[in-house]
Amino acid sequence: MFPELNSILNSTPDSFKSSDFILVSDRRANASFLIQHYLAFYLRAGCKVCFLGLVQSFSHYSAVGQRLGVSLAQAREKGQLVFLEGLKDSIGVLLQEDTSHETQPLSYLRSPGAGLEGLFRFVERSMRQSGDGDAGESWGPPVLLIDDLSVLLSLGVSVGAILDFTLYCQATMCSELQGNMVILVRCEEEDADDDDDEEGSNLLQRGLVHQCNLALHVEGLPTGYCRDIHGQMEVWWRQRGETIYNQRKIFHFKVHDKGASFFARGTSSAVL
Amino acid sequence: MLLLSCVLQGAEAGGFILIQDTVKCTGRGLLKCFINAALKRGEDVHVLGFESPETEVCAGLDRSCVQKLHFHKGFPDPLGWTRRSSFTVERFASQHITQLIKDTQQAKASVLVVDSLSLVLRHHDPLVFCQTLQELRKGGVIKTIIGLLHSDLHQQGIVGIVCYLASTVISVAPANNERHSVAKTTRRTKSGKVMQEEEYFSVCKDATLSVQAKPRQPGHVQKERDVSEADPTSNLTFNLRLSEEERKAKEKVALPFVFSQEKKSALLKPTPGSGRIVYEPDDNDDFDEEDPDDDLDV
Repeated sequence: MFPELNSILNSTPDSFKSSDFILVSDRRANASFLIQHYLAFYLRAGCKVCFLGLVQSFSHYSAVGQRLGVSLAQAREKGQLVFLEGLKDSIGVLLQEDTSHETQPLSYLRSPGAGLEGLFRFVERSMRQSGDGDAGESWGPPVLLIDDLSVLLSLGVSVGAILDFTLYCQATMCSELQGNMVILVRCEEEDADDDDDEEGSNLLQRGLVHQCNLALHVEGLPTGYCRDIHGQMEVWWRQRGETIYNQRKIFHFKVHDKGASFFARGTSSAVL
Repeated sequence: MLLLSCVLQGAEAGGFILIQDTVKCTGRGLLKCFINAALKRGEDVHVLGFESPETEVCAGLDRSCVQKLHFHKGFPDPLGWTRRSSFTVERFASQHITQLIKDTQQAKASVLVVDSLSLVLRHHDPLVFCQTLQELRKGGVIKTIIGLLHSDLHQQGIVGIVCYLASTVISVAPANNERHSVAKTTRRTKSGKVMQEEEYFSVCKDATLSVQAKPRQPGHVQKERDVSEADPTSNLTFNLRLSEEERKAKEKVALPFVFSQEKKSALLKPTPGSGRIVYEPDDNDDFDEEDPDDDLDV
């Protein structure tokens, strides 16, 4: 959990906005450190977290989480964390003989054209289950984290199907259950001549920006590589339904071993 | 009267008003103003809400007319996955919509609002979609159709098709001024006349629209020609001017590479005596007596 990011976004584990859809995206950079931040943030806040880890193993997130001060294994045992390990489970789905389970979470691996209804049902089931902890504690508002959604594009799922899935997740998580959603999308370099962009990650990102409340976009510095500043992050506060007052700000950041620091442009400690 | 206000108040019969937005500026606020204006006129408004919840769409609308608003729940289940919707995207066809409206009230000309057309286009063939729109316009049950389209989520061709079907297209974009946005309105009347305007607008809390004209060329000051051009040869410590004799002498100077007749004859004068070239043409040679440079106008 990054304290500076909390103050930029004006939220702490004790008080944060609910019914929020936060979109994290990157282009030629790696924004997964933000997913780690949110994972630690919401676990600290006592929320029930459903994490769709499609690109890394559980032990990876666990190891990073350890450095940020949260224990994923413990959270999973207590029932606070529901973790879908996409990599491990996908082998089972691909090798199984029985093709009748259309509503399995990873059914898109076998039939990508059918859409992500199975995945949505998994999310819905995990969130609607009453979370009874060891001491009978009930968890806070539900949170859905996805890392990362753009990998589904390379598995053959269409942009439309993914946008439908996120719409349903938003309807359930944010509107109905008053919880939050954080989704990571990785974009490719924008190519002006590329007509194929119609089915690409940039189209997906645009569709998600339309749906979200807050968009964090991570890119490298436009001037090139720098040892002390790892990139820039644009924070875009969007209000659904409000035509104006969309605020955008850019910050620089540096990722450390145990966190990341954020600062206004030009105020890196290397410069001052 | 400002064109956007005109369109908002007018809602001419058989019209299809298209509101186009992008990630940079959302058109939902404007859509809400249209809904509010229609309600205030006493018209029945049917909203096919696929992307936004009813609470969001109805927030801020005039309380006294809200009973004339019929929100058909697509959201939160626009595709029918959880069986909680009253109208799924699949049912976006003229017969279903017409039936839906007839079921709700006596068949009176009403306003159909679609939020959003992008979701419909994701799930329907563009050709079928266009046919549906045309059938709805000519059906008689619906007076006006108002749709929201996210133009950056579709191919340009698709956006073009939908714009072509519309009688009025309003594209919203952010303005430099944070308090307003820019709306580019293109309206085609039945007589074929096309009106186009760019105006500033802002949506108030009570879903009313405030429109302002955009200055023709904001910040563009007409350049005033300098009447008196400065004379560069004045106020110098050295002399750049020519006296009369100097000017005449200058005009007489023969420029080095201009080939005048005198120079030509001076250079080409054949010298008698040694150095003659004897040329005996071969059978293959094409010997031409004429001077090839004769036609040069040098």
